[in-house]
Amino acid sequence: MNLALGKAGVALGLAAALFGALTLAYGLVRKRPNLLRLATAYSVLVLLGGMIMFVAMERALITRDFTVQYVADNGSSRTPALYNFATLWGALEGSIILWAVILGGYILAVTVKFRRRLADPLVGWALLTMFVVALFFFGLLIGPANPFKSFSPPVGFDGPGPNPLLQNHPLMAFHPPMLYLGYVGFTVPFAFAIAALVTGRVGEGWLVATRRWTLIAWGFLTVGIVLGSWWSYEVLGWGGYWAWDPVENASFLPWLTGTAYLHSVMVQERRGMLRVWNLSLLCATFALTILGTFITRSGVLQSVHAFTASGIGPAIIGFFSLIVVVTIGLIAWRGDRLRAPGRIDSPMSREGAFLANNVLFAGFAFIVLLGTVFPLIVEAANGNRVSVGVPYFNRMTMPIGMVLLFLMAVAPVLPWRKASGELLRHRLLVPAWIGTGTVVLAVILGARGVMALIAFGLAGFAGGSAMRQLYLAGRRQGWRGFIGRANGGMVVHLGVVVIALAFAASQSYVRQAEFTLQEGQTATYAGHTLTYVGHEVKLDANKTVTRALVEIDGTGPWTPGLQRFANGNQVIGVPSVRTTPTNDVSLTLLALPEGDGAPATIRVTIQPLIMWLWIGGAIMAVGTLLAAFPGRRRNPIDPVSAPIPGAPDRRKTPVAVG
Amino acid sequence: MSDAPDAPDVVDPAEGDDRPPRGGSHLTRNVAIAVGLLLAVFIGLLATRPSASERSQSAKIVGRAVPEVSGTTLTGTQVSLDQFRGKWTVVNFFASWCTPCRLEHPELVKFAAAHAAKGDVQVVAVAFQDDPSAVRAFFDQQGGSWPVIVGDTGRIALDFGVTGVPESYLVSPDGLVVAKFEGVAAAALDSVLARAEGQTGVSTP
Repeated sequence: MNLALGKAGVALGLAAALFGALTLAYGLVRKRPNLLRLATAYSVLVLLGGMIMFVAMERALITRDFTVQYVADNGSSRTPALYNFATLWGALEGSIILWAVILGGYILAVTVKFRRRLADPLVGWALLTMFVVALFFFGLLIGPANPFKSFSPPVGFDGPGPNPLLQNHPLMAFHPPMLYLGYVGFTVPFAFAIAALVTGRVGEGWLVATRRWTLIAWGFLTVGIVLGSWWSYEVLGWGGYWAWDPVENASFLPWLTGTAYLHSVMVQERRGMLRVWNLSLLCATFALTILGTFITRSGVLQSVHAFTASGIGPAIIGFFSLIVVVTIGLIAWRGDRLRAPGRIDSPMSREGAFLANNVLFAGFAFIVLLGTVFPLIVEAANGNRVSVGVPYFNRMTMPIGMVLLFLMAVAPVLPWRKASGELLRHRLLVPAWIGTGTVVLAVILGARGVMALIAFGLAGFAGGSAMRQLYLAGRRQGWRGFIGRANGGMVVHLGVVVIALAFAASQSYVRQAEFTLQEGQTATYAGHTLTYVGHEVKLDANKTVTRALVEIDGTGPWTPGLQRFANGNQVIGVPSVRTTPTNDVSLTLLALPEGDGAPATIRVTIQPLIMWLWIGGAIMAVGTLLAAFPGRRRNPIDPVSAPIPGAPDRRKTPVAVG
Repeated sequence: MSDAPDAPDVVDPAEGDDRPPRGGSHLTRNVAIAVGLLLAVFIGLLATRPSASERSQSAKIVGRAVPEVSGTTLTGTQVSLDQFRGKWTVVNFFASWCTPCRLEHPELVKFAAAHAAKGDVQVVAVAFQDDPSAVRAFFDQQGGSWPVIVGDTGRIALDFGVTGVPESYLVSPDGLVVAKFEGVAAAALDSVLARAEGQTGVSTP
């Protein structure tokens, strides 16, 4: 029943995407507007197909229908409800279901949003592109990633359940959907970029039309990445939250190019420049999401959390090649016509700063990409297997991060076209004092180390600059001073500053030690006392949990434990973290107490300001929402700032845009 | 949306248009072609890599000759597996941060101690993504006196196809990998060892 329903859903989605693409292509070539208007109907059918297969799979998982191969492989009758629901995206085939259904949602959203312009070839080409992408993902679901294969379970069969690491933290239910909403969301601006290239409509119209879609996708991706690192911090128990793993990099790469685009698009809207560059960034962002899919799902790179081996690789690399051929071909064909005559007057201007920002983000992305695929290049060249470690990424990216923080301080106060030194001094005075104050405060609080202090100073500088802009906008426009692109952008900047502070502090001042304690014994470490009170053993349906009870500074007990799942011999640590605004004390049980009264070995990791990483992520999400909210409307070809009547032609601070 | 379908290109009126915008220059096209060629090489690279399933085939190291295992030990001396030819060896990949490694360690100590008198088995540990000082503390606390290779051990782990720690490999006296363990127990090691000795006919007195 579930099998048949699921297969029907896949078939419906596939057929709708195929006929949608064909209809639009015919309509575009033959110039038949009434065919183009059929896009709405097809998009409804694509989404319907997606929903049907999603519901069928969830139903199979919830009812433990082991006649579905995917459920037999990944489900189990002992898995708790939340994790059972999340098992849909816990393995390869299911994750493609999620991808396809989200894509269906985005396509329908685009047809609704542009319902009055469906006959416009620009929108038509964009929808055609999206139908082709949908065709690919539904195609994966009937071919190499078929989740609805049948299985005949023997009597009393029970599946192994999802990977144990995927079923001991609720964040697992939220991190992948957020990430996919981001990944898939980049399809929309990509589709419009392709449409703009095909139609040769180089006006800023398509940009304005898709800027907010990009912003929303970017916001989801940001939240997804932050939730992912939070999950790894809470679950993996090594005290870290970012390891430059290929899969992490795969999500970070489109984030970098997307961030670059969100900045450089403003130069195009204001000055008409960087058109080809912006198109390239959008295409690169989408291509990188597909490349990330390849990296995580083909098994070419060793990674701690890649999906298990599958034959999906060739299909994805083929699709990636198609994207590359089409976009490069279109840009080569149209690019020289799109080039704008403008030119940047002075490096000391807003557009100059955005250009520097873009160079840095592109360099950042290149370094991360190179480090990620370097083992493949070396292996192809001389057959050696190498691994690229965390030190490479840290050494290469930290300087770029520092310069980006500096730009974040300076760029928002720069006017377009050209700034004078005097103006800069005036506007940067307060932020500079805030930066200096941050360093002084950090030193008073005991912070040492040149790199960390530079990072604190630059973060304070950038934070001061963002707060200055928000203060001025708030004073001028009241509550509206916090919405709209520029103001919301400053809120996002504040979130980035908070993350930068927390990152620098937690990386620089981590303290880690191990203690073997008898029951009742107390250890003192880095100003905290740890008392081992005793241990408990809990038998669940699907796992056995042994936990040590530890008091930290008299609070608690905190319960680091070890879990042994019923199926499989894997033992998984369950760290216990005491989070406070100033620092996190994370406990990991390293050795089981052998009996009553036996000693336990506990590792303690103390890192300052960890909580602010997640708070910074939340601030970024709020800022993105504020930025997506329509601010003061302004036609992109309006003059930058109107002269104030009765005053000499002195330019106002250009703050509110969009 | 508010914009007209054919919004004119924004050209700042003050901007002196001193370069022909169309024709003449083919910068974008040439750059695009260059990038395209680079990407073609990259795609070729990705497409010709062994797929996941082939890779796991080739990663089946059991039954093959042992890859080179050498490096600097905790005590600062050089060690190579070749030194122990003629003995059974257990190559143990571990990390001090990995909990299951801690759990198996006493078993390894027990196993090494049981064979110390006979001298027929040598344990060699390879620290995986770990800090030498943490490894030293680990051994001080947990015991074990066999050589521990520290430092850049990523290549050794890749050669063995290690996917996670702990993993241990039993290597025959003539340098053949005969078994793989994900987490060891002394009794299991001994029984596999006994069976392997019977099969290969290689036995040390």
